[in-house]
Amino acid sequence: MSQEENKSLFDHGQPTYAEVNEDILSVMLETGPKYWMLLGTMASIAGIFFFMPWFYQLIVGVGAAGMNRNAVWGSYLSNFIFWIGLSHSGTLLSAVLHITNSPWRKAIYRSAEAMTLFSLMTAALFVMVHLGRVWYVHWSFPIPNQMGLWPNFRSPLMFDVMAITTYLTASSIFIYMGSVPDFAAVRDASTGLRRRLYTIFSFGWRGTAREWHTLGWAYTFFAVLVIPLAVSVHSIVSWDFALSAVPGFHHTIFAPYFVCGAIYSGTAGIVTVMYCLRKFLGFERYIGQVHLDSLGKLLITLSLIWSYINVLELFSTWYGGTSFELEALSFRLTGFYAPAYWEMILFCAFVPMLMLTKKIRWSWNKMLVISILINIGMLTERFVIVATSQPRKFLPGAFGYYVPSWIEISITIGSFAIFATLFLIFIKWVPAISLYEVKETLKPLRRDA
Amino acid sequence: MVILGTFAFEEDFLAAARNLTASGFDNISLLSPLPLDEAQEVLGLGKSSPVRHFTLAGAIFGGIAGFAMAVATSLVFILPTGGRAIITIPPFLIITYEMTILFGVLFTLMGFHFVSGLPAWTDKPYLSSAGTDKFVVVVEGAAGAQVARAETIIRDAGAEEVRLEEDKQ
Repeated sequence: MSQEENKSLFDHGQPTYAEVNEDILSVMLETGPKYWMLLGTMASIAGIFFFMPWFYQLIVGVGAAGMNRNAVWGSYLSNFIFWIGLSHSGTLLSAVLHITNSPWRKAIYRSAEAMTLFSLMTAALFVMVHLGRVWYVHWSFPIPNQMGLWPNFRSPLMFDVMAITTYLTASSIFIYMGSVPDFAAVRDASTGLRRRLYTIFSFGWRGTAREWHTLGWAYTFFAVLVIPLAVSVHSIVSWDFALSAVPGFHHTIFAPYFVCGAIYSGTAGIVTVMYCLRKFLGFERYIGQVHLDSLGKLLITLSLIWSYINVLELFSTWYGGTSFELEALSFRLTGFYAPAYWEMILFCAFVPMLMLTKKIRWSWNKMLVISILINIGMLTERFVIVATSQPRKFLPGAFGYYVPSWIEISITIGSFAIFATLFLIFIKWVPAISLYEVKETLKPLRRDA
Repeated sequence: MVILGTFAFEEDFLAAARNLTASGFDNISLLSPLPLDEAQEVLGLGKSSPVRHFTLAGAIFGGIAGFAMAVATSLVFILPTGGRAIITIPPFLIITYEMTILFGVLFTLMGFHFVSGLPAWTDKPYLSSAGTDKFVVVVEGAAGAQVARAETIIRDAGAEEVRLEEDKQ
């Protein structure tokens, strides 16, 4: 990397290697009362807004949710898609940027990968909530049982089970393997029980040339495997819809539409998380304008692709001319949920265009607002797909409306607290920024440097 | 005897490593806080890794296992669906694809452990400064005149500090 590129990654001057360890590990090793208060608040919100209503729903049944015979899928599944989408931020972005050797990735990828992991966990929770009788969840896995029952692998829902299980496993391994050298650094900087724990976590890593060589190759192979996996996961999620004959669901464009939307919302999520890391953990030195600018440009590109696919979806429905598809389209654009649809268009197609100006792209506060608006738009997009299609199927007699109940709204709010809680726990267990990869972007320790 | 030489600069560290290998020392480890291509070259670690064989084996195994699982479960629990074939290739290919990747990842993980020799919780020569900002050359199994020779090479290359320790293994 050239000296120019090196400099541009750091707004406040380059740290030394020792300072990198000190700055990043201090966030892990020093914990103040504010952290505990925040963690307690988030965990309480998660308990009150997510787990208590879910428990209530488990007692009275899924009738407590607003789903009914017209709409057997509701906000739980739109939330599921949203969180799966958000999970595409980290692993996919991290893997793609690793393969393309983009230096600006190095300071942000660890947190982005953590986002992937925790978004996936939150998404999996929504499957459980939607399931109703969650204690039968193991029936969806191919486990030998005395009833002789086996999953139906021709069902898109089973594709989902396999894809998400694989993605969760691969993402966990991906983030863990990348963290092993940093766990060794934590081991060296700590004492007592923490030192013993991180000795185990780091596998006895010493940083030998052989270890680095093997890790580098293994990490590249992981990245190569994870990229098609991430694409397949959201394609498969889209097939939950597209493989049914329901108007509004049955589109061949759904797989790229979902994948693009997932990367889009995930990238916006990264901006939000990066803002928090800078603001609350003091990582201004490592996450700078170049990261924001690059993410902004990526968001503009993704917004344009997303908008194009939306137009294409409208056009192909109109061009197809099937009466029930046109009815579903008309309902989406002008019916009960039209405000939600147009809000989605505003937030995801028009608002991101503000980032075309450098002034906005370089402002952390403005980018935070835009990233949140994009994700509100993307959550709405998933809701619009679910809520405007199922209650508008073929027979007018079966038409209806779906409105989420207070339980569903509460669980939706609670899911964000679950994500925040998991992330807060993460920053105390894993260095939020990769130590060794940041060192790779610094000036090498040479006499002539 | 184990000789540990600590360096502040990359080029001194690499020079020591090159001179040691040129002098016939083959039991050396190069510890650094970040991956260094040159250090890997000195040890002749090459442009590829045996990990790739594990990845390939895992992917092949996963693909075959995934397809076999989908076929076998369909046959032991027959679920007729609208007159469609019991063994349907397109949906089973999706399961095959996912299992290919799942086992590719798991075998890569195994490959990493196997090739790198980790976990290694035994007491191996190590200096914690190698995890921060120093480069450490470790020569193991040296005896007699070799110790003095290795120490001289390391010092001549510009080591900040040289330590001699008894072999623990």
